[in-house]
Amino acid sequence: MNINNTNPNVDKDKLQFVQRDEKIFDKKFETKPVGYFKDAMIRFVKNKTNVVATAILFTLIALSILIPTFTNKNFTTLEPRMAFLPPRVPILENFGILDGNVYIENQQIIPETIDPETGLGVPDQTRYPQEYIDKDTLINYEIACSEITENCMGGLVNFANREADSSSTFKAPGTFFPDLDGNPTVTIDASEVQISEGTSFSVLVNDGAGNYVSIGEVTEAGVSEFSVLDAIENPDDLFIYSTELRFLFENSAPDDYVRLENVLFTFEGAEAPLVDASGYSLASFETLDGTGRLTRFEATITMSSFEFDAYGAALGDYRIANFSKAEYEDIVQNHQSCSVVDNPDNPNGWYLSEGCPVREVLSVSEPVVVDGEEYVSYELIMNYGLYAGYEDTPYYLAGTTNTGRDLFNLAWVALRTSLLIGVSAALVNITIGIIYGAISGYYGGKVDILMERFSEIIARIPFLVVLAIAVAYIGPGITTLFIVLIVSGWIGVASVTRTQFYRYKGREYVLASRTLGAKDNRLIFRHILPNGIGTIITASILSIPLVIFTESTLSYLGFGIGHGQSFNIGPIEFSGVSIGVLLADGRAEIISRPYLTIWPAVIISILMITFNLFGNALRDAFNPSLRGSE
Amino acid sequence: MLRYTMIRTVWVFIILVTILSINFILLKNAPEYPPTIEEQREIYYARQVSDGYMTIVLERDPEMVEIIRQELREPAASDEYTLIRNAWYRDEGDQFRIYQPVPLINQYFNWVRNIVTEWNWGVSTRVQANVPVFDILLSRIPVTFQLNIVALFFYIPIGFLLGIVAALRKDSFLDNFISVAVMILISLPSFVTMTFLVLVFGYGLGWLPVQFPPADVTGSIRYTAFVLPVLGLSFGALASLTRTSRAELSEVLTSEFLLLARTKGLSQTQAVLRHAMRNSMVPLVPGIIASFVGLLSGSVIIEVIYSIPGTGRIFIRAMTQNNYDFNLILGITAFYTVISLFAILLVDLSYGLVDPRIRMGARK
Repeated sequence: MNINNTNPNVDKDKLQFVQRDEKIFDKKFETKPVGYFKDAMIRFVKNKTNVVATAILFTLIALSILIPTFTNKNFTTLEPRMAFLPPRVPILENFGILDGNVYIENQQIIPETIDPETGLGVPDQTRYPQEYIDKDTLINYEIACSEITENCMGGLVNFANREADSSSTFKAPGTFFPDLDGNPTVTIDASEVQISEGTSFSVLVNDGAGNYVSIGEVTEAGVSEFSVLDAIENPDDLFIYSTELRFLFENSAPDDYVRLENVLFTFEGAEAPLVDASGYSLASFETLDGTGRLTRFEATITMSSFEFDAYGAALGDYRIANFSKAEYEDIVQNHQSCSVVDNPDNPNGWYLSEGCPVREVLSVSEPVVVDGEEYVSYELIMNYGLYAGYEDTPYYLAGTTNTGRDLFNLAWVALRTSLLIGVSAALVNITIGIIYGAISGYYGGKVDILMERFSEIIARIPFLVVLAIAVAYIGPGITTLFIVLIVSGWIGVASVTRTQFYRYKGREYVLASRTLGAKDNRLIFRHILPNGIGTIITASILSIPLVIFTESTLSYLGFGIGHGQSFNIGPIEFSGVSIGVLLADGRAEIISRPYLTIWPAVIISILMITFNLFGNALRDAFNPSLRGSE
Repeated sequence: MLRYTMIRTVWVFIILVTILSINFILLKNAPEYPPTIEEQREIYYARQVSDGYMTIVLERDPEMVEIIRQELREPAASDEYTLIRNAWYRDEGDQFRIYQPVPLINQYFNWVRNIVTEWNWGVSTRVQANVPVFDILLSRIPVTFQLNIVALFFYIPIGFLLGIVAALRKDSFLDNFISVAVMILISLPSFVTMTFLVLVFGYGLGWLPVQFPPADVTGSIRYTAFVLPVLGLSFGALASLTRTSRAELSEVLTSEFLLLARTKGLSQTQAVLRHAMRNSMVPLVPGIIASFVGLLSGSVIIEVIYSIPGTGRIFIRAMTQNNYDFNLILGITAFYTVISLFAILLVDLSYGLVDPRIRMGARK
């Protein structure tokens, strides 16, 4: 009562009593009574954050049912061609983000593909077809390599022996026929020579009589020239001289090596040098005997990085080695646009007209007869987009999984699976919990003590123990999941219910009812339970996110549901994935394809946050001590 | 207090024995997965016999030997003879050596005797064949404990601090910010946070190792490797500690005894530190001890994600489908049970220590 606000100057005549002659004790209230649930509702609506969270939560649940039902995208069947497509989102794709392109790095280029204009090469055609590589983003760069392959180019080659005090012979591939009149010479460009005393790295050629004779030794870095004529005693006797070029590395110490840049074997008047080895060709010298080893230094390999149109490539042409004739004919019949066009270059095959899923038949196999039936298969080039019936390039908002399923839809299916498991396990928990808690709380005394001890033991069993036992008997799967969720899940609800029963069972109205002859059953379900229901509901609702939490953790670890287990309830499909399963799948690809993890993680995060907010809002709303306070 | 302590201790032991017994009996009753390699299997069965879980039956009767062989050739007809059923056997020419499990109840008592007298928890069958389970556990426990203790010492001070700040600056921007962060962190499953931590700080920025280094790696990586798992492990606990400490403290701050303290002339700081904080500790201390249990079982998934060679990871390995290692599972679950029950005992006792009212109440 605030006295300052009353105006003392009001005329007394103007004041009059409202109810001077009226009796109001049996009059009805003019305002409506506010019941328990209405009061809870008022408090619930007051907190705007919670209302928003609840709205989001229910939107999520609705979407998880609606989206996969009304989608035209594949999230159930296996489609290997469409595997691992990156996210592609309408509108955003125009700005260059989430446009279905992937940035491919570190792909070895094929040297033959180097474009003379730009000087840039592209990798293997079968993995990354050239037409889907964005040429503007294509770059080539060199990285160090040491393997002896053709693509690893340039650099030096190290000649060494694996063991100390051993010898080995290296041979240039091939046999050579130099013209002795042209003074054949071997030029060796050594960049580093590290040999100890008594070790020699000599150059051998065939002397014409079958002996390998040294024409000199490489002793220091730099260019050294050796004339083959030195090795031949009587060149005039030789009509046709054939020779080989060898290196003999003798008595080397463990750290000895000779590092060569180039070996040139030629003669005057030669059309091309007999041997001009450096880089890969030098590294592919044969090791004839001994413990010789060739290693490459400072060699480089050309790699490329580029933006790759993954959707285009997946829906584009690809080669199938074994395509059955029956299936081919089926396709040709079902598409009007399929008519055969001769291929003048390939008598075994033929083209098909534009618009037909089969582009070209390359060859026809020999017929195989099994059980009297003849089977023929074609090698052909197929356009996957036309074959699988994709009219436009699809928008996979969150990309596709390793099995070519649409992750966006799959995540919604996973969400509803998680929700269904969570809610049904929570329902079982709530039922058990309410019954157990009601009995324990209502009867009290010895019954209560015994039941409390029992539930304490159950509550103390670590969930790993339950998991181990369930897995031992049933194996991983949905049953195990339910067992783990239920064994100790009901205890929270039971203890809340028990407390509520303790609180209300001694009240006068219960006593009054009992005096009137009400049975236990009626007292429990008509009088006590409804009074404590708010708190019990709250505890139950708050247990759902916990159950979902455990479910996704177990599925993540591989003990919950897995890909193999799909089940349907009515028209709603639950293909055996939950969010935990999706995240476990994404983990294998986390470096190269983080989007596989991000989308399911976002979904479960929003779900958990909104569910918790919703539960807290309910708790505040049903908290009787807050009644009328706001 | 002594009586209270004793009752709680005895009760915890009763629970412990009950859980371990149920666990042993149920796991032993499940089909067994002996070592896969023949020699190891022989050693394993010999050991099963010496530990008292199996007996050797020699079938010398030539007629019976022939019957068994006949049945082995035609398994469909083997309904009649049950001696080699559920047993391991060896054909030794003129006799069959059959290793048969003794009745479960005898196995149970032998198991108890082995543990009480020799501390013998059996040997691993699949993970590291014929290595004593306790040795495997011993090699794994230190890492798990290090991880959990570091996490504990990481989140307790920070959680308290954030809770106190939020309670003192209630309804300010800071408080709202902390509340939102707490809400988010409490809701995110730890494997999601851990995955993102590894993705961002491991692969993305490259500041921290993307998985736990092997034991023989030395240098600073040994310490930096703890950062991500500790963060992933403690975010949830940190958030819930912040939330409870904020709730407790803000409740105490509005209580009348604090007003009395202020009227006596204590400054706000003094009143908060000496009266409010101490009283808000009552439910918090047991909560922290209890959270250690949650931390420990939560570390299983963190260990799997970050490849930490701890007890959780070996548990998951022992649970590989159709490659179960029940003895090891038994040992690890016993470890987790003991730790959690011990923590619960501490919780019960700490209630008594922290809150004199409970201590008094217990002495009925």
